[in-house]
Amino acid sequence: MADILRISEVSVRFGGIQALDHVSLSVAPGEAVGLVGPNGAGKTTLFDCISGRRRPSGGSVTFDGRSIDGVPGYKRARLGIGRTFQRLEVFPELTVREHIIVAERAHRGVGALWRDLLNLSRVRPEEQERVDAILDLVGLDHLADVPVAALGLGTCRLVELGRALACEPKLLLADEPSSGLDHNETDSLAMVLRVVQRERAMAVLLVEHDLQMVAKSVDRIVVLDIGKVIAEGRFDEVLAQPGVREAYLGAGA
Amino acid sequence: MSTLLGYVLPGIPYGCDFALMAVGLVITFRTTGVFNLAFGAQAFGAAFVFDLLVRSEGLPVWAAFVLSVLLLSPAVGLVLDRFLFSRIATTNMTAKIVSSVGLLIAIPQLLPILFGGSPRENPPSLWLDQAHVEFRLFGTAVNGSEVSTTVITLGAVAALLLFLRLSPAGLEMRAVVESRRLAQLQGIDSGKVAASAWALSSVMAGLAGVLLLPLSNVLNPTNPLQFTGLLVAGLTAAALARMRSIGVAFGAAIGLGVAQEVLELYFPNGALHTASVNAFPFIVLVGTLVGSKSLRSLGFRADPMAGVDPPPPPPSVSIRDPRLDVPMKWGFRALIVAFVVSGLTWVPGYWVTPLDAGLVYSTIFLSVTLITGASGQLSLCQASFAGVGAFAAGQLAAHFGLPVLLGAVVGGLMAAVLGAVLALLAARISGLILTLLTLAFALMADTFLFQYSWSGGSGTGVSVPRPVMGSIDFTSNRAFLVLALVVLLLCILLVALVQRGTTGRFLAAMRGSEPGAASLGINLLRARVTVFAMSAGIAGVGGAMFGSLYSPVSADSFVYEISLAFVVVVITTGSRRIEGAVQAGMSFAIIQFLFTYAPSRFQGLTPILFAFGALNYAQHPEGMVEYQKSRWMMRVSRLLARVDGRRGTAPTALAAGAAGNGMAGGVVGGSAPNGAPGLAGSPVGLSSGVVSPRG
Ligand SMILES: Nc1ncnc2c1ncn2[C@@H]1O[C@H](COP(=O)(O)OP(=O)(O)OP(=O)(O)O)[C@@H](O)[C@H]1O
Ligand SMILES: [Mg+2]
Repeated sequence: MADILRISEVSVRFGGIQALDHVSLSVAPGEAVGLVGPNGAGKTTLFDCISGRRRPSGGSVTFDGRSIDGVPGYKRARLGIGRTFQRLEVFPELTVREHIIVAERAHRGVGALWRDLLNLSRVRPEEQERVDAILDLVGLDHLADVPVAALGLGTCRLVELGRALACEPKLLLADEPSSGLDHNETDSLAMVLRVVQRERAMAVLLVEHDLQMVAKSVDRIVVLDIGKVIAEGRFDEVLAQPGVREAYLGAGA
Repeated sequence: MSTLLGYVLPGIPYGCDFALMAVGLVITFRTTGVFNLAFGAQAFGAAFVFDLLVRSEGLPVWAAFVLSVLLLSPAVGLVLDRFLFSRIATTNMTAKIVSSVGLLIAIPQLLPILFGGSPRENPPSLWLDQAHVEFRLFGTAVNGSEVSTTVITLGAVAALLLFLRLSPAGLEMRAVVESRRLAQLQGIDSGKVAASAWALSSVMAGLAGVLLLPLSNVLNPTNPLQFTGLLVAGLTAAALARMRSIGVAFGAAIGLGVAQEVLELYFPNGALHTASVNAFPFIVLVGTLVGSKSLRSLGFRADPMAGVDPPPPPPSVSIRDPRLDVPMKWGFRALIVAFVVSGLTWVPGYWVTPLDAGLVYSTIFLSVTLITGASGQLSLCQASFAGVGAFAAGQLAAHFGLPVLLGAVVGGLMAAVLGAVLALLAARISGLILTLLTLAFALMADTFLFQYSWSGGSGTGVSVPRPVMGSIDFTSNRAFLVLALVVLLLCILLVALVQRGTTGRFLAAMRGSEPGAASLGINLLRARVTVFAMSAGIAGVGGAMFGSLYSPVSADSFVYEISLAFVVVVITTGSRRIEGAVQAGMSFAIIQFLFTYAPSRFQGLTPILFAFGALNYAQHPEGMVEYQKSRWMMRVSRLLARVDGRRGTAPTALAAGAAGNGMAGGVVGGSAPNGAPGLAGSPVGLSSGVVSPRG
């Protein structure tokens, strides 16, 4: 089967820093791939290039069989690329439920102004059901009506995840979803990711420092260091490679 | 050749003056991330004080210079930094702009109130006499003030560059420009650096103001428009320099000064003159803002370490006990009925006009509620949109006999189109540049768009008749009250539908986080164009009503300061809720009316009262009045809860308190970064019932 995501030779430069240096990787439909590497390796920058937040200076990104270079971010989201952010990008004044509703409606394209003006924008029962299902999935049903500003970091990560899932992405980019969560929460998050990925056949690209969580959640990992892919393959095999250990222990520990 | 030179040479001192302003803007922006529009006002302030010291106090020029430029200006800069901008260093761009707009309004209004103000001819020159021809260059006379402006500017900028290059403080400043966080890690006190940047740039602004005095020949305290020109040129030069290079800003400013004079040569008078000479700075400004690639991402802080910054304080979410909903709803309806009945019967005639005005202002202010409250964008040209509506209604009635109400709708549509065009122009641009673009439009409207007989009716103004519908005549102020109320209610309905609907939720998402909204597939551009168009449309309709109330109206009724005042007033009372706009409208009109009883110099106090409220925008984006109200609501809720508790029916605590991962007590926002107790001071509310962010 054709890859859902194919990145070839993508490069990004910030002044003197080569954040991404001819990075290539691909993800098959329904596959979970871990993207690991020390701080500053360029993982978030790569996510930004895939989700359209940043334009790479070279290389190209293909999604679902078509090139998406030059496609603006919101259109990529509509094509089926969802993401969460390492640096939270929640909507502080909206409640958890409203986050999901916003995502749900953006995804279904029912945001036309005339509907508002005719007062047709109330939450309908079937919409309510879908929203509740998502809330249930990420375990936030008891917090549904709390403004996100009042929630802690870990909970906000779950909100971002739920919001991304409500858009039913074909590919989910999760940027350090477990940072700020405690051990049990991390476990259940890994579970949720695994379940959704299997049930919906959603591809996942997971950036994570918690290697245990990575081990539980992915089929394969790619190691990035100083903007370059230095290894990829099965989790235990890759971590056994000396270059990888060095990059990790040298910079990370 | 020598004629051309005769225009090039006088352009240079103007250019020098612009350069000082531009350099000040660049320095503060680079070191603190604040785009300080208030430099225009600071320049005016320094000039005003300098003039006052020399002529009223009889101080020697050098002493006045030391006091106003070398002592007072940096002191003002330091105070602003210490008590305002350093506290909001990590907040978003909108908060910083709102604060500087508040100052831009307050400072020029405050000075004449403190010291009295009538226009003064022939203000003093810092050095060398402007009437005296110093020398001739290729046959062109060069007078004293031209020499002094040029020489002093060159000296000041050279000193500044040397300081930045060579002194340790200058090096630290340049390190902070690279990355505030990184510099801090290396032990540089970025607070100190910001303070020196403020002091330095304020001296530049003050110097620009004092040097402008002899060039412009008259200092009019009640109309600091000449300083607006200074601000526009400074902005343009700073934008041309991509807010980066001091050298480029300097060169661009000189170029602007010269180009402006040379245009005078080619279009000495007539319509082309007004069009070209007046429009020129704006065309360059708008072109730069829209066209420059590196300006596009300006709003997003380029600090690679910005991720370390703490998130801005969440706005306090007002929590209303659901038991208050019904009484409030009926109370509100009763209030409207009481208002109409009183307005039509016992209220004395001279009080009816301010009530009319209050309703009309409320309508216009709703446009701010929509754009700033709902979408988090800042538009500084709402009064210009109102002007478009008013002039359209008036002109259409005069030339085509169109009924005024229909004309108001057409005017609203025209304003909406203009708003959409502005938002489209700014398609790929960050919020800050869009805001500057609206400011450029507002300035453009009052310097020339509204100056023609077909638009603002030059001189006499445009008369907008009172509507007459069949047998109902709205000519009397009392009858107009009903009409104004109906228009207001219609606009309220529109805004409420949008706010409550999907569009409102999308806008709230966009306001919260643009990347987050885009990641869900929300088209930010479409949302922005929609909200700009609707908001401009409402302002246009409100403007037509304003015109009809105060007919005839001229460009003076819609100058850019009024746009600034509108934004500041609404932000102070609360831009998030519809009732905020109504409170703002009524109180603005009534306070203004009350000031007519005060001595005339206090007339300008109304906007100042609100301007100080706007300085709190960073801590309380929901508005000071709204913030106070929500505190009261909370007290009432607690009281109710206690009464209930005695009856033994304590409301079940919402899970929020237990929920926050480590965040104790479900604190709902409002805690100021400087530790002032916001709502956070009372970790209540969440436990007293339903939490509704926009009840
Ligand atoms: N906006 C920016 N401007 C300048 N440099 C940047 C910017 N964003 C990232 N960088 C730099 O690019 C490099 C890669 O950053 P990136 O955030 O992609 O790393 P990362 O792998 O996500 O690291 P982490 O594990 O800390 O999240 C880093 O050296 C970073 O400092
Ligand atoms: Mg990262």
